[in-house]
Amino acid sequence: MADLIIQLLNGLNYILILILVAMGLVIIFGLMKVINMAHGEFFLLGAYTVVLTDRLGLGFWVGLILAPIVVGLLGAVLELTLIRHLYKRFLDTILATWGVSIIIKQTIIIIFGPAGLMTQPPLPQLISFGSLEYPAYRLFIMAVSLSVIAVTFYVFYKTDLGLASRAVIANAPMASACGINTRRMYRITFTFGSALAGLAGATMAPLMSCDPQMGLGFFIPAFLAILVGGAGTLSGILAGGSVVGGSESFISAVYSPVTAQIVVFSIAIIIIRARPQGLLGGKGRG
Amino acid sequence: MDKTNSAPRISRSAAVFAVLFAALALTPLSGDLYLLTQLTQLLVYGIFAMSLSLIWGHVGILCFGQAIFFGLGGYIMALVTKGMVPGMTGWLASSCSGLILAIFVTVFFALALGYFLFYGRLSGPYLGIVTLAISVLMERIAVNWYYIGGYNGLTSVPALNFFGFELLDPNELYYFILASAAAMYLFCRGVVISPFGRVLAAIKNNEERAEYFGYNTAQYKIKVFAISAGVAAFSGALFATVAEFVSPTIVGFGLSTEALIWVALGGREVLLASFLGALTVRALEAFLSDILTYYWILILGLFLILCVTLFPQGLFGRLLADRPKS
Repeated sequence: MADLIIQLLNGLNYILILILVAMGLVIIFGLMKVINMAHGEFFLLGAYTVVLTDRLGLGFWVGLILAPIVVGLLGAVLELTLIRHLYKRFLDTILATWGVSIIIKQTIIIIFGPAGLMTQPPLPQLISFGSLEYPAYRLFIMAVSLSVIAVTFYVFYKTDLGLASRAVIANAPMASACGINTRRMYRITFTFGSALAGLAGATMAPLMSCDPQMGLGFFIPAFLAILVGGAGTLSGILAGGSVVGGSESFISAVYSPVTAQIVVFSIAIIIIRARPQGLLGGKGRG
Repeated sequence: MDKTNSAPRISRSAAVFAVLFAALALTPLSGDLYLLTQLTQLLVYGIFAMSLSLIWGHVGILCFGQAIFFGLGGYIMALVTKGMVPGMTGWLASSCSGLILAIFVTVFFALALGYFLFYGRLSGPYLGIVTLAISVLMERIAVNWYYIGGYNGLTSVPALNFFGFELLDPNELYYFILASAAAMYLFCRGVVISPFGRVLAAIKNNEERAEYFGYNTAQYKIKVFAISAGVAAFSGALFATVAEFVSPTIVGFGLSTEALIWVALGGREVLLASFLGALTVRALEAFLSDILTYYWILILGLFLILCVTLFPQGLFGRLLADRPKS
């Protein structure tokens, strides 16, 4: 029983991180119609920021604060120098950001080497609930990601900025005609989406061995979560993230990670075939 | 009425084709065996690049996992010719049946996959990333499946052997691969200029419009996806015999990405430009990756960005294009 609860908590942990990564992707895609192939590498950069601060002796917490800032800034620079020239060229943005992802990954390999790196666990203690013991750090991750997800939803649905961004999503030229500075919205969006990936990477760094391929390992499930949940909606990724993340962590616990990936992927493909608009996307295309 | 327009068009690509393959056919005269074996492998990659150019450049399907089909073809070829497929011994384990099985199985796999993807209305970028995911998945399966060699793959794949005639001599092998490359080019070219290819061009131009004209675009895309997969499987099968090994990397993410870079740099909209792209990048890699080590991939990524933003037609695309794009 206790094992089961621990597994469930671990699964929830993974789901929340996945939603965090997927949310950045969806926000960027929703507003700018850009699929950021470097999103996984932004995650990677977040994780390696923590590795770096850990090595410099600054500790994990500085890294955690620094990661979203560094990655967000990088996103802003990228938007200014590259993405903004490619707004109307849909497939080309994929290739260009793909190039960016190659460069980031290779730079990490050059600086840190291709091997996996461990960092100091920031909160090593266990918290016990009766007979159950659970790592405090994992609870901390859940709290952080839950609050970031909640704040994002709040900003998106309750504030003026969110209203403006939903207007841009619905109809960018019309929003622009109504006086919304779409260029500025794009820049904010890309920065914020990147920062989310950076934060997710930083929080995951102490839990796993950081290697240059880890970004892809989160990018693909996050993307599947989006496809399963429906690309148009922010709430779709909650459903998609739960389906993909939940089944993946459950099956890898029972069988093996490879079986889990095969099963999850098959489920995703079947859902895509049966409901092209995603689980929660009601209106279909357009 | 098309005659005046189309006459120079055909002669242009035909001329490039003739010059390129004549030059390649003369290479063995140099007597440099190392060069020849290198070039044999490059030609195999060239065929692979053309398969990607066929669906990406001519239909607009961005496939991030083209190595799925290359690797599948390679593995099937290796398993068949090594006699590792249960029940297939004797003449059934020959190069011929290996090639046929590699192509057929891969084509059927692509048809099944295409059925799910294209009827699932996955458009450009989504499709790309889903194929990327499949590629990563296949690599992991190959690594974890011990019967097909696991992480190390399968080594000592037998050389090509047609009815007792074994292609062991590097010159013979080279000419066989060169002829295969020429045949594959003509085949892909045939697909592109056929009435079927016209519909594909229409889909690339504007899929909705093609649909309004009454074409079942999903069906067309599935078909060309399968054709391209067949060509990729053929090149993969050749690779298995030329390199004499297969390993999980040839089905995975790395090779898929590389193929994309070759085709993007060469020029995705022209088959021969993609072919040359593969040859050029691979040849440069052979020289430069020793000197530049990790920086080589970094530079490749940089080139990809530059090429995409500034020269979407690639290095050779404009040079070899039949006529200015309308």
